[in-house]
Amino acid sequence: MRILVCVKRVPAPGARINVTADGQAVDAAHLGFTTSPHEECALEEAVQITERLGGEVTVMTLGPAAAEEQLRYAASVGAHRFVLVPITEVDWDPQRTAAALADAIGDLEAADGPFDLVLFGNESADAGGFQVGVRVAHALGRPIVNGIKGIDVGGDPEAQSSETGDVPEGQVAARREIDGGFEVYRVPMPAVLGVKEGINLPRYPTMKGRLASKKAEVAVDERTAEAGGQGRVRLHRPEEQVSETVILGTGPEAAPAVVDLLEELGVFQ
Amino acid sequence: MTAVTNRNAYASDELQAIYDQTVDFVAHEVVPHGDLWEVEGRVPRDVLKRMGDLGMFSLRVPVEHGGLGLGMLASATFAEALGTSTFGGFEATVLVHTDMALPHLLNSGTPEQLGRWLPSILAGDTVLSIGVTEPDAGSDVAGLRTRAVRDGDGWRIDGRKTFITNAVYGDLVILAARTDPDDRYGISMFLIPTDTEGFSVASKLDKHGWRCSDTAELALDDVWLPDDALLGTVHRGFHETMRNFQNERMVLIGMGVGASQVALDLTTAYCADRKAFGGRLADLGAIRQRLAMRQAEVDAVRASMYHAAWLGDQGLDNVREMSGVKALGAEVVNRVMYDCLQFHGGMGYMRESTIERMHRDARILPIGGGATEVMLEEVAKRSF
Repeated sequence: MRILVCVKRVPAPGARINVTADGQAVDAAHLGFTTSPHEECALEEAVQITERLGGEVTVMTLGPAAAEEQLRYAASVGAHRFVLVPITEVDWDPQRTAAALADAIGDLEAADGPFDLVLFGNESADAGGFQVGVRVAHALGRPIVNGIKGIDVGGDPEAQSSETGDVPEGQVAARREIDGGFEVYRVPMPAVLGVKEGINLPRYPTMKGRLASKKAEVAVDERTAEAGGQGRVRLHRPEEQVSETVILGTGPEAAPAVVDLLEELGVFQ
Repeated sequence: MTAVTNRNAYASDELQAIYDQTVDFVAHEVVPHGDLWEVEGRVPRDVLKRMGDLGMFSLRVPVEHGGLGLGMLASATFAEALGTSTFGGFEATVLVHTDMALPHLLNSGTPEQLGRWLPSILAGDTVLSIGVTEPDAGSDVAGLRTRAVRDGDGWRIDGRKTFITNAVYGDLVILAARTDPDDRYGISMFLIPTDTEGFSVASKLDKHGWRCSDTAELALDDVWLPDDALLGTVHRGFHETMRNFQNERMVLIGMGVGASQVALDLTTAYCADRKAFGGRLADLGAIRQRLAMRQAEVDAVRASMYHAAWLGDQGLDNVREMSGVKALGAEVVNRVMYDCLQFHGGMGYMRESTIERMHRDARILPIGGGATEVMLEEVAKRSF
């Protein structure tokens, strides 16, 4: 199996986000960064598949030079090859990003053969555009299924679940949750899948893996692409919600105040 | 990902990887659960098992035994990163296992002893403690009273140990006992599984801080051990114990430096947010200057600690430097916690606040692993 996982460097969840003075970007001065969570799960899935079936996981990111950190993290959890498509701007729009990634993927495939699977996160944790994976699949002429919470590759005896049935060689079954159930798609490989958080629990790197990742070779593949039609007007940080705690009392003495409050909230109506 | 906060002259990609890995683990697997562990008085076994599975106990273990074969700089980095947990009891639990007890086995163990014990120690299945301190002998190791006498093909041991970290729930104690009653330094080390007949936990001790670390008073009544439980050379245990003293001192300060940095970060954030007297606490000169001085002191201790670690890794004598860092660092950590609690105001005195716990946890540092007064004597002996 040859699997490519595209990841994005995003601000760490829970961080206090500030916006630059021109309103065009997130102020990264005091932020920690991480791999977008859906993509971390996509990477884990890819590593698990190749651990069972053999093969190689390549990880690609389009981002600033510092995004090398996310590639090295991927190395620490078992990925094999790493490609950074560097940009100097804050971010590229989805069309431009997808065009550059599709070009870079095309060149990798021309050299080493097609990837059986190209995995994206369902959407990035920062922009949340839901676009890049779909656009790359379209550019490569491959089927894509988004919102995936289960992957069964044909020929993988361990992964055959009752939900996806026996998957023929050369195909992949992709399961996604819907209201009240799930639906399964079978698509021929090569294919593109958009993976959702929850498909697995990403592993921690081992100490050995972490140390080895510092020596992993990261290929830098500079790309140019036309900007798309989507332009940012400005980012806006909402006013912080002020929360206030009112202590109604302690012990039995608080009961009347609790009753009053419940009445006020309409609980007794 | 984690920011680079432990900058020092000896940093490398390798050490940064250790720091990042440990800080990530601590942030996700310790910080959210530590309050419960403090109430329960122990670190859950599955956490130590996970750390073992991830290779976090293997830094100092030679490559041929499945470890990473690293030195004191790696231990210092690991300790500082653990210190970011803010739970000193958790940090002590881990560091006693990896850096206070295990080195004795690595330094003195036979191939058979290493083969028998190392795999389960690295995996976190066997948790170690170091049994040296007694009711009448702490920093004065040569005053030990626990005795081991020859009996057939082994040794019979009687005595008491106290303040033994990890010994309530641990599996293997590396224990010092007097084997030559005529020689003040005639001490030997033994490997004692905690399920050995005659070995018992006399009491689980109730501590001022480090609440999630289990601490035992041990009773050894007519404990018989075979010859292969002797660790190292008979009667040479005192000198072999001393071989790890610098490492032990270092990791205690390492965890203190990590904790101090978190305490300062918490407090500067609190003071930047807290409104008082028409402005922020952070705008008051008395507060900002005091916190700045504490930061400078922590930076100095951090730099000195890594330097002393580097000296050790070069094979150079670092007793003066490491003893000095232990003495100074433990005092600095306590000054930091005192001021940080002070600037949290009434909130800092509440049990629910992180800084209240950190203040309690810090108090042991000038006592454990060589009291400040003993450390200063080590410096003085090399100064006059």
